[in-house]
Amino acid sequence: MPKAKTEMRIIFLSILIVFAVFLLFPLGTLFVRSFETNQGLGISNYLSILSHKDLIEAFGNSIKVSSITAVITTILAFALAYAVNCTRIYRPIKTVIKTGILIPMLLPTITYGFAIMYSFGNQGLLTKIFGQSLFDIYGLNGLLIGYVIYTLPAAFLLINNSFKYIDKKFIIVSKLMGDGSLRSFMNTIVRPLWATLGGAFVLSFILSFTDFGIPASVGGTYAVVATQLYQVMLGSIPDFNQGAVIAILMLLPAVFGVLLLNYLEKLNFHYDKFSAIELMQHKGRDISFGIISSAIIVAMLSVFAIMFIAPFLASYPYDITFTFKHVMDIFQSSDLVNVYKNSVIVAALTAVLGTLVAYGSAILNARTPLRGKSTIDSISMITNTVPGMVLGLSYLLLFNGSSLKGTFIIIILCNIVHFFTTPYLMAKNSLSKMNPSWETTGELLGDSWLKTIYRVILPNSASTVIEMISYYFINSMVTVSGIIFLVTAQTSLVATEIKQLQHFAKFNEIFVLSLLIFFTNLLIKILCDYFQKRQSINHS
Amino acid sequence: MLKLQNVSKQFDRKVVLDDINVEIKAGEIVSLLGPSGSGKTTLLNIILGLTQLDHGKIIFNDMDMSHVSMKNRGFNIVFQDYALFPHLSAYENIVYGLRNKKGLVSEKELQEYIEFLELKPHLTKKIGELSGGQKQRVALARTLVMKPKILLLDEPLSALDGVIKESIKQRIQSIAREYKLTMIIVTHDPEEALTLSDKILIINQGNISQFGTPQEIINQPKNDFVEEFILKQLQIKRQNIYNLFGEQHA
Repeated sequence: MPKAKTEMRIIFLSILIVFAVFLLFPLGTLFVRSFETNQGLGISNYLSILSHKDLIEAFGNSIKVSSITAVITTILAFALAYAVNCTRIYRPIKTVIKTGILIPMLLPTITYGFAIMYSFGNQGLLTKIFGQSLFDIYGLNGLLIGYVIYTLPAAFLLINNSFKYIDKKFIIVSKLMGDGSLRSFMNTIVRPLWATLGGAFVLSFILSFTDFGIPASVGGTYAVVATQLYQVMLGSIPDFNQGAVIAILMLLPAVFGVLLLNYLEKLNFHYDKFSAIELMQHKGRDISFGIISSAIIVAMLSVFAIMFIAPFLASYPYDITFTFKHVMDIFQSSDLVNVYKNSVIVAALTAVLGTLVAYGSAILNARTPLRGKSTIDSISMITNTVPGMVLGLSYLLLFNGSSLKGTFIIIILCNIVHFFTTPYLMAKNSLSKMNPSWETTGELLGDSWLKTIYRVILPNSASTVIEMISYYFINSMVTVSGIIFLVTAQTSLVATEIKQLQHFAKFNEIFVLSLLIFFTNLLIKILCDYFQKRQSINHS
Repeated sequence: MLKLQNVSKQFDRKVVLDDINVEIKAGEIVSLLGPSGSGKTTLLNIILGLTQLDHGKIIFNDMDMSHVSMKNRGFNIVFQDYALFPHLSAYENIVYGLRNKKGLVSEKELQEYIEFLELKPHLTKKIGELSGGQKQRVALARTLVMKPKILLLDEPLSALDGVIKESIKQRIQSIAREYKLTMIIVTHDPEEALTLSDKILIINQGNISQFGTPQEIINQPKNDFVEEFILKQLQIKRQNIYNLFGEQHA
């Protein structure tokens, strides 16, 4: 490891200042504001919220619907991961599962709600196919479907990753020792995965609890915390102090959840080094899981099918002649084109600047001897905990009077901080695996520290950098909750514009804009995957 | 000539090196030999300038280097795992430092280094395509073209297998002769140290056990440690080889 240098200290200080101003101060302000009353500081805001029947009910609803979501998602995600890792189903099916499951991540959650309406509503596509309305979608049912679709990809990725660290030889050992199917399954799959399954549950719970897009679209009269917070802040009589209290109360379960996640992480099984082994033949297992996993994917994707159909029909469901009219209308509306441009600019700047911040932070922590560098880990814990709505609201409180208000800069900064954890951990992980002597070698060969970073470290982590850029870009394209309090008429983005269009029931526009986000993200994802693959070929 | 005077180092109050005094002549190959945790790698890093010393002085050609930065000291090292840059070809690795010091080596000299280390056929290869011995030679070339005043080698043979080991040993000796280069080599293997170097510095628990030529160490071991841990190993090896070939080959 190189010695501490001035340039390292300067970068470290700049990063600390960014997070002080755009994470700690806003959260501090939020905290203070929640205690602020006409008679000075006190807990009367909290007391008034707790006596507010609607809000208490919304909390109960949020906890209930998030818990049910978490149970369903964990079971489904486990079934998918099991099918991918522990069966001998036809390989292309596994590829379809692994790719298909990621599709919802390319769309804003608010779109899910409209897709659900157009699928399960009275005139919905799936309702027509089944010939009858399956259930009432506004409220609990719609929320559940939306939340499950939203949380399934994240939960699947988590469980799928843990499956890779399970030594499948134990399944064979267990069989050879005479275990029955159930005992073998419990001991070799469920037990080693127990902590991960708990993690998937907690993760799904937090994501559902803090999401705004789904209840905003399909929630109906079923009040949840996120919609309550929105109403208090942007309703007819905004109450900032009450909003601060609700935000703090939304933050608490998230804090608890992240602590729980970290605790569960420690319980994770880690087998020693092991090698891959062929799975046992088992027709029944393969056929049943082949059917189950395909059904999950098909069901999930069928909800989105309408989004690709409706905008190309004259007036779904009444006039189903094919037309490009709606698409053309969007491109002729300078407002909507501008909104799309805004979104791309914000996402691109977030991707570039965010990657710079996250990569710089990771280098300082993984490859320098700076004192106090582990503060960055604490920062990444906090950014992982704070829900987007809470962060956005705290920005609104702190920067309301400043010139940052209503700018793209504040939106970009909010995104950078909100999504910091994952790209930071990607970079840290990849940088700490690299040869620790490179900086010393570079220095002995005449490089300055920054020059070695540029000539050696960066080219060797290019693949990770691309992944970070892609993560930041896609997430800032789809986020609603993080920025809903920060956008103005001048800085409107596609995901938030959809919320506005809802009021005018312009569903074709909503779907066309959603498709724009989808294909933009798909393009970025494909490009990034292509460059990543090229990198890894170059290096092998 | 490199002089270490009263060199001491502690990590968290644990004494790693205790009052080391040594003189190494120009063009000598010196091995730092000792068990793991003896302090030999720390001593190497102190000479390199990577680790600061607590007490004492490092004097090179009558200049006090103790507080000269690693970069300005003009020494260089080949790490145990070579630390080659995997995104560059063998050739790009070799000339990496020349971009920073233009004119240090002429094109003709560069080609001579490459030929001397027999790297011509491998120049366009990626690092991942090279064998262990080839990587070692690329790392040596990359360091040699910087014309170091002293070349440090950290366990240069540990990552190599059997036959390659012997040929790299010869290569190291011929580099020292060809370029009249002082070399300091860290190793934990007595056989390696005694067959490779002009002098051996045996370190145990931060102290010098013995400093001398291979003959001196074999014939006049200074203490129990040298006898028990260094000579005994060699004697067992000798016995095993005798058993294989028969006494008459001795």
